[in-house]
Amino acid sequence: MLSEVLTRVVIVVSILLPISLGLFVGRERLATTRTEWRSRIRLSGPAILVVSSVLLLNRTVRQDGPGIGVHMTEVIRKIEGEFVLIFQEVATPQLTAYFSFIYIYGYTFLLVFPVMAYFALSDTKMFRRLLTAYAFNYAIGLVLYALVIAYGPRNVLPELIASSGSGTSTMLYDHSPEFKYLTREVNRNVNVFPSLHTSLSATVGIFAYLTRSSYPKWLPVAIVLAVSVIISTMYLGLHWGIDVLAGLALASFCVALSCRIVGRWSLSGLYEQLTEFDRF
Amino acid sequence: MGDERISAGRTPDGDSAVTGSTDGISRRAALASAVGLTASTSGCVRQLRSIVNRDDIQQLSLTITTRSADGDRESIRLAREIAATLETVGIDVSIEMRSNEEFLRAVLINHDFDLYVGQHPGGIDPDFLYETLHSLYADESGWQNPFGFTNLLIDDRLEAQRVADGDERREAVVAMLEAIAIEQPFVPICTPTEYRLVRDDRYDGWSRGHLATRTGYLDLEPQTDNSADRLRVVHMDPRPSENLNPLNAEYREQGTFIDLLYDSLAVEVVAADGDHALEPWLAEGWEWTDESTLRLALRSDCAFHDGEPVTADDVAFTYRFLEDTVLGADAFPAPTPRYRGRVAAVDDIDVRDETTLEITVGTGQAVGEQALTVPILPEHRWSSRATAATVPGVRIAQGTTEAVVTDNIPPIGSGPFQYDSHSDRDYVLFERFDDHFTRRGSVDLPEPTVEELRIGIDPRSTSAIQLLEDDSADVTSSPLESYVIEDIEETDAVRPLESPSWTFYHLGFNARSAPFGNPRFRQVIAQLIDKAWLVDEVFHGHATPIATPVTDEWTPDDLAWDGADPKMPFLGSNGEVDVDTARTAFEEAGFRYDADGKLRVRQ
Repeated sequence: MLSEVLTRVVIVVSILLPISLGLFVGRERLATTRTEWRSRIRLSGPAILVVSSVLLLNRTVRQDGPGIGVHMTEVIRKIEGEFVLIFQEVATPQLTAYFSFIYIYGYTFLLVFPVMAYFALSDTKMFRRLLTAYAFNYAIGLVLYALVIAYGPRNVLPELIASSGSGTSTMLYDHSPEFKYLTREVNRNVNVFPSLHTSLSATVGIFAYLTRSSYPKWLPVAIVLAVSVIISTMYLGLHWGIDVLAGLALASFCVALSCRIVGRWSLSGLYEQLTEFDRF
Repeated sequence: MGDERISAGRTPDGDSAVTGSTDGISRRAALASAVGLTASTSGCVRQLRSIVNRDDIQQLSLTITTRSADGDRESIRLAREIAATLETVGIDVSIEMRSNEEFLRAVLINHDFDLYVGQHPGGIDPDFLYETLHSLYADESGWQNPFGFTNLLIDDRLEAQRVADGDERREAVVAMLEAIAIEQPFVPICTPTEYRLVRDDRYDGWSRGHLATRTGYLDLEPQTDNSADRLRVVHMDPRPSENLNPLNAEYREQGTFIDLLYDSLAVEVVAADGDHALEPWLAEGWEWTDESTLRLALRSDCAFHDGEPVTADDVAFTYRFLEDTVLGADAFPAPTPRYRGRVAAVDDIDVRDETTLEITVGTGQAVGEQALTVPILPEHRWSSRATAATVPGVRIAQGTTEAVVTDNIPPIGSGPFQYDSHSDRDYVLFERFDDHFTRRGSVDLPEPTVEELRIGIDPRSTSAIQLLEDDSADVTSSPLESYVIEDIEETDAVRPLESPSWTFYHLGFNARSAPFGNPRFRQVIAQLIDKAWLVDEVFHGHATPIATPVTDEWTPDDLAWDGADPKMPFLGSNGEVDVDTARTAFEEAGFRYDADGKLRVRQ
């Protein structure tokens, strides 16, 4: 089942990617990328290394959890009440299908496309910033997951999420049970605060704004997708409003931090300094 | 000035004296008045101390511990409904959710809860209540008395049904159940009706054994050429793929798969419709040589999965080990967190030779025979686990032996299936143990007919159903969640199988702390729970409300559900508590309400 779902995600994303690359990036940039990719990768080496090691760590730590956190479900619920249920009032089967699609396929595409698009820019700064921001999102999210143990709405209010007015379930895993295989691979059900779907989508959204001069057509698409992903986390009963707020805060923080850090120190410069130092 | 102000505030007549001293009165006069003041206020200070040092009684604030919807959808819903009801009668309630194993650790091992809502594995024989409620076990960890409930009358009744047999025992059980119904050490809510999905095209014989027991997976009749190769089971609880230790309380519910790996001397063979009989299993048979002595002969040439023979010494070791998993090496014993009541029935074991032994029980024969149903552990694997578990740099609670915490993978038992491989949260694969005695021609007992049994983990009912419909699985071993039952579409190949359960949902009190140790308080709480309404609302009708936690077979007429709870009728209707009646009930039980309608209880 898992491989089936994975294959479907890969197929959908690999159909979407070439179309959007052609549409938003353009042939010219892709052509220069073909000649310059070696030097770009060399320049972005550190950022690539950081993001891949964080992702690797993410995979092992997220599944088991260190067991040091504080249980916060009740606190979150007492603060925001049953706010997320407002999405249940407008639920329709079409919306559910849309948000389920967005949550899995839309999100994956939203995360992968900018990596390619910014790699296609001859200035690798944005590419490195994006990767660094991704890494920060995951790293900080990981720490918060360890500290805050909370269950999402679907675990607390199962019947309210599951039985919308339309009669069909809006809870992701009831509507599309196969997705459970996918998310179970990467997540524990107490990894709720903050919503990484929100923070990563918002990160992409903010970057789309920062790069609007290079990719003007991507901006509206990114915004629509990001907002859809963010709403879907609550609509599908996976996250509380507070998780989403925390995700937005995390996104702004990570983007700001990555813009500060990237370009300030360069590892190659550092290396030159060190070798110079050696000579004396 | 500060000091003056305080004394002025406290003693009205001190006012003039203190302010007077600043107005030029002689030192002696001031001194004299101060002495007089001290003498006159000493009585006041005593009174003051008496007033100030009384602790205020606060609003009752409690926590209900339960599982999240991923672990047990019904539990969290019950907990929320009960919390809402308690809020309306002026109690401050919060809900604490835990994963399956954290929940059981909090409740069974650490006793860290006020109230909890959960499912009890129950028992076909009502003797499970002995370990559940006897005060001797209030301090132990495990399924034995997690409530910390202590009551000498109940202890008496629990013991009385244990030593009695036949009709006498039946009467003793009734007396026990009635006393428990009055005390309400926990509130039994309902017994779920178990629905599982089975595929008929690959196997026949689903209605032979109850699928919550080992026999459900034995004696199946393969219908196609390749269906004997592998029985594909879907299980919704990931824990069997993570831990296969029969003694671990946190990772076991009913222990169905453990029973496929481990044999016991006798087995309760339960049919899908609930009929049951205790059959000799690893023991060829037994006879009572006197009132309390059982002579048993083990089946010859039985072996554990690693090839070592099963001997009478292993049996004697098992009972000794379960009684004390440190085998006397520690200052105090560390008894098993499961099977406690059954093991306690055994007084002595005398090994006669390799395959015969005599077991002396301190109970009647009915309960004594129940003691034969614990898993037999190979001594050569478990004797080394009688040591304290260690984690470098961490202080471990005394009594935490390797035996109760090990994941026990690979498990070595002597049961009809042996462990092959597993992957956490994904699957566990068993393979048929070809040498198992049930496969001998001379033995007429349910036997393993499939070569492999794969327990695939699938955490949700909806996806488990999909697996069966896609012909990717043959049976759901966990009962389906009640909200999906209405939507099941019966096809030619796939059909739902309904079977009775002896588990029950309940509200447990931690009687170790006030006011939950007060039976009057528990009685009022019991009457705030509309069991029939909860069955409709939470279980969609797929459960039976109960007043006593035993099977129908043992339920006395007085305690049978007759449209309402015969002992603890609900104070309200249709799930809505009548707040005034509830308040009166609390007040009559000796509790008080403040002007804001909050229940004030000394905690």
